[in-house]
Amino acid sequence: MKFSAATRETESKSLEKKALAPIVRYSNGFDQFSSVLQKSNGLSILDMSGASQANVSFITGLGHRISTDDILGTMEQCFGADFLENEKTASKAQRFLDQTLTFAEESFDGALVWDTFQFLASPLLDQAIAQLLRVMRPSGLMLFFFGADEKATRMPTYNYRIQDHRTLLLSPRGTYQNVHFFHNRLLERLFHGASSVKFFLTRDNLRELIVRR
Amino acid sequence: MWSKRKEDEFPPRPERPAVTPGGTSGAEPPRREISTMSTPSRTFEPEGAAVRSGSAALGKNVTVKGQIIAREDLTIDGEVEGTVECHEHRLTIGPNARVQSNLKAREIVIHGSIQGNVEAADKIDLKKEAKLVGDIKTSRVVIEDGAYFKGSIDISKAAPIKPPQAPPAPPVSQPAAPATAVASGAASTLK
Repeated sequence: MKFSAATRETESKSLEKKALAPIVRYSNGFDQFSSVLQKSNGLSILDMSGASQANVSFITGLGHRISTDDILGTMEQCFGADFLENEKTASKAQRFLDQTLTFAEESFDGALVWDTFQFLASPLLDQAIAQLLRVMRPSGLMLFFFGADEKATRMPTYNYRIQDHRTLLLSPRGTYQNVHFFHNRLLERLFHGASSVKFFLTRDNLRELIVRR
Repeated sequence: MWSKRKEDEFPPRPERPAVTPGGTSGAEPPRREISTMSTPSRTFEPEGAAVRSGSAALGKNVTVKGQIIAREDLTIDGEVEGTVECHEHRLTIGPNARVQSNLKAREIVIHGSIQGNVEAADKIDLKKEAKLVGDIKTSRVVIEDGAYFKGSIDISKAAPIKPPQAPPAPPVSQPAAPATAVASGAASTLK
């Protein structure tokens, strides 16, 4: 994708400004995920956007166990501000994989991946997905968000805080260079090993999907 | 303040007198000691720590390798490797602390860095500068924005403590009719 420098800068500033305000978002994908939580008891759920009081209270309030892993935080530690460039360095990519999802096999019934995989490029993206599938139990559910704006060069990212069974509060965390556009075909290829992939229609520039291992 | 004979074995401490607010009788405040199971002949006294009545502290320049068992509130601001148990009391991990231990206490407040599992009967409080890698087991957890936590959280709800019930209200009874109002001879009985 090639854009003029001016366009890029304008878009970047506009995104930066938008990215500062918290956003309340209704999520059909999360609604479906939480309906499974409400019907079951004693599940083990992984939250990949780091620890937050809201998410801990929601998940444990439903009688489940929650684990947290701050994937974006690990990416920032390993790759600095330039994810795209530094992911290509084998030693840095390996360091990221060594610190990410270091749980025992088949530890989780559900995973809230949010948009954390948005900024990974292949082959690291494929390796991270394989690592995630490794820690998921059979039939475990994973909720993913991917940007749906094909023209965006930079993408905002958020801390996702659960407000209720279908409402999320998105607190801006920063913007990073867009790695690639996750269209449906790419997503189906990425999760070809999963038993099912369900897409949710959204009105904003975020594509939601639930993947069942 | 370091104890004078820290290498020697100390006899068991006698019971300390209760401390009244505003100070005691003017006597020197008692030393706080923390004994370690692995090195029974050694006692520690936090260097430069604020020795408050009913609590102990390990300062930021103190390093402990071994097992710590405290029978009072404890603040750790140094380096600890081993295990820390502070049953029925509050354990505070200070902002300078680097702890590689499993921790157990009634309540744990974390400002510093911990690598290990943390268990508290009442509550675990992760402050915004806290960094915890390990599992949490408690009745209640509070996580401030900015705290880093990697691990699992097990909420074990303790048996609910029923609030003391107010004594049942006496049954509402009609006021006894004045003798003059009693129409017939049948007496009414108040329950």
